[in-house]
Amino acid sequence: MADGAQLAQAWDRAQILSLFDPATGRLDRRVLSDEGLYRLELERIFARGWNFMCHESQLKEPGEYLVSYIGEDQIIVVRDEDGQVNAMLNTCRHRGNALCRAEQGRAKSFVCSYHGWNYALDGRLIGVPGQKTFYHDDLDRSRLGLRRARVESYLGFYFATLAEDAPSLHDYLGETGRTGIGMMCANGEVEVVEGVQKNVIDCNWKIAVDNLFDWYHVPYSHASANTAGFLDVARIQFPKSQMVMLGEYGHAIGGPVIPQDAQDQIDQLNDEQRAEMSRAQPEGSPRIRPRQATELMGQAGVRSHGHPNIFPNLWVTISGTQMCLRLPRGPSHTELWWFTLVPKAAPPAAKREIIRRMNHVFGPAGLLEQDDGENWSQSTRSARGLASRDLGQHIQMGIGHDEVRTNDRGEHYIEGLISEHGQRWLYRAWTEWMVARDWAELTANHSRPPVGVI
Amino acid sequence: MDTLERPRAATWAETPLPERALLQYEAEQFLYAEAALLDARRYRDWLGLVADDVEYWMPIRRTVTNADLDREFTKPGEMAYFDDDHAYLEMRVKKLEAGSAWSEDPPSRSRHFVSNVRILDVAGDEITLEACFHLYRSRLEADADSWIGRRVDVLRRAGDSFQLVKRHLFLDQTVIQSTNMSTIF
Repeated sequence: MADGAQLAQAWDRAQILSLFDPATGRLDRRVLSDEGLYRLELERIFARGWNFMCHESQLKEPGEYLVSYIGEDQIIVVRDEDGQVNAMLNTCRHRGNALCRAEQGRAKSFVCSYHGWNYALDGRLIGVPGQKTFYHDDLDRSRLGLRRARVESYLGFYFATLAEDAPSLHDYLGETGRTGIGMMCANGEVEVVEGVQKNVIDCNWKIAVDNLFDWYHVPYSHASANTAGFLDVARIQFPKSQMVMLGEYGHAIGGPVIPQDAQDQIDQLNDEQRAEMSRAQPEGSPRIRPRQATELMGQAGVRSHGHPNIFPNLWVTISGTQMCLRLPRGPSHTELWWFTLVPKAAPPAAKREIIRRMNHVFGPAGLLEQDDGENWSQSTRSARGLASRDLGQHIQMGIGHDEVRTNDRGEHYIEGLISEHGQRWLYRAWTEWMVARDWAELTANHSRPPVGVI
Repeated sequence: MDTLERPRAATWAETPLPERALLQYEAEQFLYAEAALLDARRYRDWLGLVADDVEYWMPIRRTVTNADLDREFTKPGEMAYFDDDHAYLEMRVKKLEAGSAWSEDPPSRSRHFVSNVRILDVAGDEITLEACFHLYRSRLEADADSWIGRRVDVLRRAGDSFQLVKRHLFLDQTVIQSTNMSTIF
């Protein structure tokens, strides 16, 4: 597929902008299969954006590290002796060998297995065998530290970027991104459960992201989970009570919403009454959030039980109980990493109950996710067929039928039926990221959430 | 832990060879019969061989250094790929029977191999054994998955046959190289 001619194809601004038409929702399927576009995504989206690395609970002690990714670049994420979290490329400055081969572990320093170059937990090169003899002491170690990524965190969730000119994480996330992260902390402090489920799906990463906004597929794709008694589609889908929230740089949230009149009643209750109300609901119903959640999620956001996506590839799901990273592995492959969160303060039995349930939803053997993967891989496959790809993806649902409203906090939200506003917002942002040559251009030219008919 | 568990019951080790050979034969025949049911997609019949108090578990394996081998597998109560009791296994079977399990329609073609069977312990009416498994799954035109690993099973004597009481599956892959695991091991 990836012949030389195709690899060499350069995409200019006009060509990229023509790939998606927000007015009709037509997406060129080459977006899901073209090698040249994929290479450009690694550069203009992954290397430029803030990428999720880990939650603070995954690195408790100094020296604890894990290996994550920015695009296809491996990143060592480590807590150093000062308690600081550092992110560095997992590649020795000498010959490029990987310093960490384990996916997680504990280290006092990182010693390269090739020639023994030794790096401190903050990336400084602190030892080179033969520095005096073979290098005649003229090696400038201070210039040969590991390439560091910028690291910032929000509510204990660490992100990294390779772009020096990127805005702060706080500004990058904006109102919608912060609401998405806030959803995970809405019921109190959380920790990541030991063990990340990882598997590879033969699909383009954007098909997986597109799908998280898609509440249209749930009753059909996941019909068998419903029949088996695992999932009560009627209880979770709320097809007529949906909200899509739009944010800058492509962040969005889509899915079921608690109607404003119901929220008005909840607002009258104290936390104890809310907890009681949650317990009285049938199993699987979204939990009524405590008062502090409004601060974290906003007046509109607090009503959402939908799916946030932190652009480009972090999906927050099950009302903030799980996260899934979609790591690109070429135009036709995506690696999925599933993280599960539990309230820190929950008793062990309650944690066990959440974990057992989460073990059965997603992941390769999950009763829901089993059926998603093949839909995505077959859609990606179509995007490679010459005639098939000319048809374009159809993402029209809801165009012109809804209205974006806003409030004092700057939330932008659309309430109504199931729609594809979230997916269109994703691809619109994608084209903007892909045509911008640097952050200055992206900052100046990206879409702000509109107000009014959409 | 994926250490080699050794037969520890002195009584089992001291059991006369003919008796041990017979039990080994019976256990293996049960494992083969069970595998044949799964390969034949007779999931409901397979469920009939599963005890009500079954513990069916596949932890997450991770690439770790020698110093961290105690953290290679997630532990019970942590994240896992399979973390099933009888009710969850029954759900998997119901899902496969639903007529809308799209990831198994057209159905996968699977072959369950079981080998290196060693009985580790016999206590009352329960046998603990260790085995290697290779589950080959072919799907659609060209999808092929191979899941290989070690497992520890506990079988309970039930009349002329056995029931599966425990299956702990220790896969050799860390990042699962498959679109899904819509199958039963």
